[in-house]
Formats: sequence, structure tokens, C-alpha cells
Amino acid sequence: MNRLLATATLLAVLATPARAHEFWLSPSGYRPAAGDVVSVSMFAGTGFRGEVKPYAVPRTVRFVLRGARVSDLRGLAANGDPVAARFRVADGSGQLLAYESNFASIELPAPEFDRYLKLEGLDGPLAARKDGGPGRERYARCPKAWIGAGHAERVTQPAGLTLEIVPLADPSTSSRLPVRVLLRGQPLGGVLVRAWNRPLAGAGAGAAPVDPAARDSVGPVAEKRTNARGEAALDVGRAGEWLVSAIYMEPSADTQAADWQSFWASVTFARDARRENRAP
Amino acid sequence: MRRIGRALPALIALALGATPAVAHDVPYSYLDLRLSGAAVEGRVAAHVVDLAHESGLVADSLRHPAYLSRERARVVPVFLERLDVRDRGKRLTVEPTRLDIVLDRGLVAMTFTSRLEQAGDRLEVRGPLFPYDPQHETYLNVFDGGKLRVQDLLTRDHRMAAIGGEARLSVASVVREFLIQGVRHIFLGPDHILFVIGLLLLGGSLGRLLKIITAFTAAHSLTLAAATLGFVQPSPRLIEPLIALSIVFIGVENLRHRSESPDRRALLAFCFGLVHGFGFASVLRETGLPANAIGWSLFSFNLGVELGQASIVLAVAPLLAWVRSGSERAAWRVAFAGSWLIVGAGGYWFAERLLAR
Repeated sequence: MNRLLATATLLAVLATPARAHEFWLSPSGYRPAAGDVVSVSMFAGTGFRGEVKPYAVPRTVRFVLRGARVSDLRGLAANGDPVAARFRVADGSGQLLAYESNFASIELPAPEFDRYLKLEGLDGPLAARKDGGPGRERYARCPKAWIGAGHAERVTQPAGLTLEIVPLADPSTSSRLPVRVLLRGQPLGGVLVRAWNRPLAGAGAGAAPVDPAARDSVGPVAEKRTNARGEAALDVGRAGEWLVSAIYMEPSADTQAADWQSFWASVTFARDARRENRAP
Repeated sequence: MRRIGRALPALIALALGATPAVAHDVPYSYLDLRLSGAAVEGRVAAHVVDLAHESGLVADSLRHPAYLSRERARVVPVFLERLDVRDRGKRLTVEPTRLDIVLDRGLVAMTFTSRLEQAGDRLEVRGPLFPYDPQHETYLNVFDGGKLRVQDLLTRDHRMAAIGGEARLSVASVVREFLIQGVRHIFLGPDHILFVIGLLLLGGSLGRLLKIITAFTAAHSLTLAAATLGFVQPSPRLIEPLIALSIVFIGVENLRHRSESPDRRALLAFCFGLVHGFGFASVLRETGLPANAIGWSLFSFNLGVELGQASIVLAVAPLLAWVRSGSERAAWRVAFAGSWLIVGAGGYWFAERLLAR
């Protein structure tokens, strides 16, 4: 069934215009040891395949690392640097990265915009669009990455992003991952949460991901809508690198800039093969 | 079902095989400028896909030094045409020095030198490099005297960066810049010109014409300021067709006018002036306001708009008065033909702007 879902969605994705959709943080390795230096890049693309999105100083609202302490990562990279941050891991436990951008805008012809709303499960805005005009949208990115494992409270506590996927357990050890989606700190019901999975480059070298630009697109392997408490549980039992993503769209607060504004939340993490069948 | 299960991986492989080999879903480019006195050293880098699109060359081949070297004469002009750095309003002439391939990024970079008229001049960089692609972004980094001064991102919403530091912007340079922008906007936008001409076609005493133009000016100044300062920001999708409709309305009003009917032009000028002000605000917003000189830029942009308008009035009103002094009938014919022209043009723009929605 999952395969059918993956194929249907993948074919739908490939039928859409070739513009980037998901946005995620990709570390150089998901299992660094204490003292290792980790570099993080941002990627935009579809089907968990994407191109690097260089770090943009004017677009960055927040960029933090929550490890043994909380560090501000803004200003570590130069404007346009393909590596958004490099940092030394202070302890061998889990490290949470959280980034938020300000708005960028896009305008799509009406049929293309409606197709994209349908594909992304944005039923509310799709139903509310009555004028048939072009889709004038501004969008902000809210990705997170969970590196390592342990000290689960570093990932289960919200980071304060406008739209945020908060894992309610350590994603690297929970094969059925409960998440809560928050909009401005409040639970958001009815939002579609999707998960993609890719094999890692290898268990060695700190569990590095395969270069997202050099791999194939895949369809999502799980998707759920959040309940009234903003919660959904996803099957993420497979080993490898995971991307969990959710989008929320609402009427734009600045109608001169756009008619709609959207927030794109994601969280990336990895699961080891040896943990594949472990119960939460 | 089992057969479908076996066929699925093949389907996926087929579908994946259909994805383009050279994807470029995140379009961006770079411009680095290093200022040292009046000397400028720069490096502009663009993706091979964009360069291939512009030059008609093969994107993947541009990753090979021999091919790039052979096609240098077709690649360099793309950079020269797209690079828009201005010193005192004049586009800088640049001297290309080298072409490089940034292999792991799929980029080709051109380094260049140039020279400012005078050290310390304020520069303007316009972009993004390939503005026809609405998603294209240009990362701009400017070093002045070895220090990183500006880190900016030129996008469809932010098309100009001023270099020299806003703190170094004198009031005079802000006033000059935005005055020019205001005048330019009036003369580049035939819709505003036709609206003003429409108000003048029926003629009248100098006092009456002044009253009409002042009403228009007061109204659009109000909404220009309100929108620029963020108090009210209606969508351009509403404003642009309304501006076109205002032109049609003025034309129709002229055609319906009889000598005994009251002259409502001042009232109409005020009402529609409110709409035109929102249109001016969109332009001002695209220009990019310096954060620490919003008041001066707003004032001088408005002043530029007024100067543009005044020059139209000064050119058109005496001409119409001269025709009228020769023959009332000829003046009526001019007003009649001019009004129909205005209705036609306004109607065309109205339809065009509605269809573009």
C-alpha cells in the first residue's frame, strides 16, 4: 500500500512544474562523535532530491543549535555560502538545528497554483480561491534537523519557529514517530504531514547522507493529517535518512505583496539499521 | 495484484528516468564587488543552465574548460549585458579579466575590473541577474577597503541595492535619486499621462485647472504616504485595473459633458487620485526605500511625480488654450477625439490587466 502511495505521489510530483518544494537541512553526518565538526547545508527540491540553497544573510530570521547549550548560528556563514553553518559537537548526544527564513514571493498561473494546492493537500486555500486569478504567494521556510541521539528533550521541546514539527519522542529511536505541529506555538489540526526516506551513504563516516543533488526523487512513504491536538503518528521504522514535512497556508497579512502566505516546516533525522525494529 | 507489485519498481524507474538530467530548480547567481578607492574588482558567477539559455550554448559543455575557452566570445557578452552596476546613474563599463568554472557548483564566473568616477561614489546594483526568471536570486557581497560592507539578495521583490552604506547617503543624493524616479515613473507610465491629459481636455481657466491638478495631487500624495508607511496596502491586482478604469471614466465624463452641466473634474481627480497614489506606492516599494531616509525618499518621489505632472500640464494646457482661442469648434473636436482615444486606451488596459489576473 505504501508502495502504491509512493508511486502515485511520485508520478504526481513529476507531473508538476519543476520548481522546488520541500526545504530541509542536511548535515554532513547524522552521527557525529563529541568533538567532530559538522557542516550543514540547506536544500530545496522535490521527492527528497534537491539542490543546495546557499545561505542568505538577509533572509535569515533565526538559526540556532540546541545542544549542551543553545548557540546562535547566524553570521557563521557568508552571504551565498553553500554551507550554512559549521560547528563542533560538544557532546555525543542529540543536537537540534532550527532555521527560519523571512518571506520570498512567487506568482503562479491559476491552474498551476491550484494543482500545487491540491498536490500539497492545502484544501482550505483551494476551496477559498474563488476568483480564479494567479496564485500570488509569499512563503517562509522553517526547517529543523536532529543530529545524533539521546537527550530527547532537546528535540521534543519547541524551538519557537512560526510553523514547527515537534517530534514527541527521539526520532532516531522511535519506529512509530508521534509529532505535534505548532503554528505560532499553538497546535495545528488538519495539516498534512508527509515523510520521505532515503538510504544513508553508509553507517561509517558519521552516517552521512547521500548528496541530495546526486540522488533520485522518491515519493513519500507515510502521510497523515494531524488531529485536533495537532498530532499525528508516522511509521518511520526503516533505516536511513528521513524528511518529515508539513505546509500551512493562510491569507497574506500583506496583500500588496501576496494574496497567500505559507510556512514550510520540516525535520530531518536518521535511523540506524540496528534500531530498525526497536519499539518506541 | 502481485503483478502490479512487481511492475511498480519499473514504473518508478521509468518515471525517474523522465526527470531532466540537468535540473536547476534553485536558480541563483553571485556578484562580489571589491572597492578600493575608485578601483573596482568584481566577480560575477552564473549557473551553466542560465548561461546556456542566454547564449544558445550547451549547458553541460560549459563545465569543460576547453569548450568554455572556445566559446568565451559568446559567454562574456551575457555577463556584460546582465551586469548592471551604476555610478552616478551611469552604467559602469567593466573590463573582463578571466573566466573560471566552479566545477562542483555548476557555475561559470567572470572576474572583471572597473573604475568609479570618484572614490566614495554611491553605487547602485540592479538585479537579479536574470530577472525574467521570477525565482532567480543574486547574492550580492560588497567589500569596501577590504571590509565586508553589504550582504544583500536581489530578487523579484528587491531589485536594487545601494552601495556605500545608507549612513553615507546624503539627503541630497536621496532627494536626487527619488526625484528622478518620480519624474521617470510619470513619463514611463502612459496611463498616468493620459489621465492627466483627460482632465485637461475640456480646458478652463488657469484657476480651474490648478484646482483640478491640486485635487489629484493632494489625493495621490495621501494614499502614496499611507501605503508606503504601511497603514493600508491594497493589492495591485485591485489597484491596476482600477487605474485603467479611472482613465475610461474620465474619457466618458468628457464625452458626456455639456456646457450647462457642472464641472466635476476636481471631485473626480480627487477620488481617482486616491487610487493612483496606491499605484505610485507599488513603484516606490519596488525601487527599494533606504530605511533611514524614508521621509526624504517619499517626499522627493512625490515631488518628482508633481514635476512630471506639471510639465505635462505646461505642455498640454497652453496648446489646448491656443486651439480654443482659434476656434471653439476645433477645440471641441480635439476634446472629442482625445476623449475617445483615452476611453479606448483605458479600456484596453483594463481588459489587459483583468486578463492578466
